[in-house]
Amino acid sequence: MTQTAQAARTAFQDDVVALLTRQHGDIRNLFDEVERATGQDRRTALRQLVRLLAVHETAEQEVVHPFARRLFEGADEVVRERLAEEEGAKETLARLDGMDPGSPEFLPTLRALRADVMHHARAEERYEFREIRRYAEPGALAPLAQAVRAAEAMAPTRPHPGVQGAPANLLTGPVAALMDRTRDAVRKAMGREG
Amino acid sequence: MTFNPLEHRGIPLDRQLRDWRELAVEPVDPDRGDPYTRCRIITMNGIEIEAMLFSHHFARHCPDLDVKRTLARVRYIEAQQQKAVNWLLPGASSVLETTISYEQVAVDLTAWIARMEPDPYLTQAYQFGVLEDFDHLYRYANLYEMIEHRKAEEIVDQLTEVMPGRPTPLHHRDPVDNVREPYDRRGANPLSKLHALTVMAAEQQTMNFYLNVGPTYMEPIARQLYQEIGMIEEEHVTHYESLIDPGETWWEQLVHHEYNECYLYHSFIEQESDARVRAIWELHLNMELEHLRLACDLMRRHDGRDPAEVLAPELPNVLTFEPNKQYLRELIATQLDLTTLGTGYVREAHERFERMQQALNSDGMPPSDQVLDAHREMFGREYRLQTEGEHPVPALREN
Ligand SMILES: [Fe+2]
Ligand SMILES: [Fe+2]
Ligand SMILES: [Fe+2]
Ligand SMILES: [Fe+2]
Ligand SMILES: [Fe+2]
Repeated sequence: MTQTAQAARTAFQDDVVALLTRQHGDIRNLFDEVERATGQDRRTALRQLVRLLAVHETAEQEVVHPFARRLFEGADEVVRERLAEEEGAKETLARLDGMDPGSPEFLPTLRALRADVMHHARAEERYEFREIRRYAEPGALAPLAQAVRAAEAMAPTRPHPGVQGAPANLLTGPVAALMDRTRDAVRKAMGREG
Repeated sequence: MTFNPLEHRGIPLDRQLRDWRELAVEPVDPDRGDPYTRCRIITMNGIEIEAMLFSHHFARHCPDLDVKRTLARVRYIEAQQQKAVNWLLPGASSVLETTISYEQVAVDLTAWIARMEPDPYLTQAYQFGVLEDFDHLYRYANLYEMIEHRKAEEIVDQLTEVMPGRPTPLHHRDPVDNVREPYDRRGANPLSKLHALTVMAAEQQTMNFYLNVGPTYMEPIARQLYQEIGMIEEEHVTHYESLIDPGETWWEQLVHHEYNECYLYHSFIEQESDARVRAIWELHLNMELEHLRLACDLMRRHDGRDPAEVLAPELPNVLTFEPNKQYLRELIATQLDLTTLGTGYVREAHERFERMQQALNSDGMPPSDQVLDAHREMFGREYRLQTEGEHPVPALREN
């Protein structure tokens, strides 16, 4: 491997912004999967999507938003807007989670949620992540990445390098409990008690 | 269907102005739209920008205040058209996603034009260039998966293959060798003139897009890749613009620009799957008919010639966005090792080419190769989309 490739690799693995941006892609991939699948497969994909979204948002709320708030001027406003978007998405998500994937209102609800989530993700990338990259001390992003990875392990999508698979029993059960467990895992990784 | 834009009346110029509400177009869906709808939007954006820039240059060479005023009035409308067209692109798309669509345009637009071009020298110019944008698509697709964990097939669908073309590091030629010979305005088929104008406008917009958005990336590899490919788009603009006969007068060129806009809007009306977008193509065609009439008037008055002498009697076959997979595979199999020498093409790496390569690529790996290296490192493979079987060149198959 060349030096530059090594540098690129390090930047992509240990940088919390790169990690979350890629998670945004994973979330979109799962939206596609749910939309394309039918029957039991759709149920399984939906389960994965709901869990990844829950885990992703929890990690952002625990790790990224507080970090941003301390980091740059105007972050309070930016974060408030992001939290409002997350709140809205959470409601639609809960509705979707309780819905029969074969029912006629399922796909329109899914598509609306996909549009909202994507809009939210782009806003984070442009107004929050960009500032984090700009103002954070070099080295400050790696521990954050570790915390996000600890969260990610709670809702594995497909295997990709650097991420350990979670036990299968984590893939079932209520979303609220998962968010609690995610919060604990993140706080532990950040060196704080839950 | 035959259509002669000289025989149709459009919307009078003083009724073409739109207010902000009319300009606030609803963007297309970033994920579920027809990829070729996005390609048509990007193409027409490039065409409208060329209409504006050409008119600005014309005005700077034009001493007659009345003519300048007419140019300014029409140009203001062209600028509104550009806004209405380009603002169809969704804000939720990332820059890289739009970039991948730009290269899809470069591939399928240029390939189709190469297939339809009657003049063999011009055909060769398009065949040569398309293999390079084809490779850009592949490099950007690898960057896209690295940064966003998304596959380019979600953007190009299964319409355009993504795999190696002529390797990007080899696109860096001595600028002297990017200058082609022009067609002869007196003998050229009118269709050839439209083709050259269209590809030049598309490549010019691609160049401008990369040179503006490249530095908005934070990842060093992304910044560098946009720089490298941005420099190649500069070469492509040089390559394609030199095909146009510089002996055409300003008046004649203005007429060609307006006629070409009519041709393209007319073409895209025929194919558009999105009804809302089609309505915009229809409105714009009706505006362009009037621009063309005004341009023809100017040519008659100031050039003392009848525009019908230089134009086709009716619009040629509609320009079509469609898959060109087999055609591209044949070109890849036979023309990958070409480079340019003077105004022609050769297969050997001649001295001037080697000198340029040495100057740019000898100290470290070019960004276009670094991106593949980093992608392999991250995923253990490259990103490719080969819907029609393995790569036509054995050495470029993934092992
Ligand atoms: Fe997010
Ligand atoms: Fe126009
Ligand atoms: Fe290109
Ligand atoms: Fe190009
Ligand atoms: Fe026009």
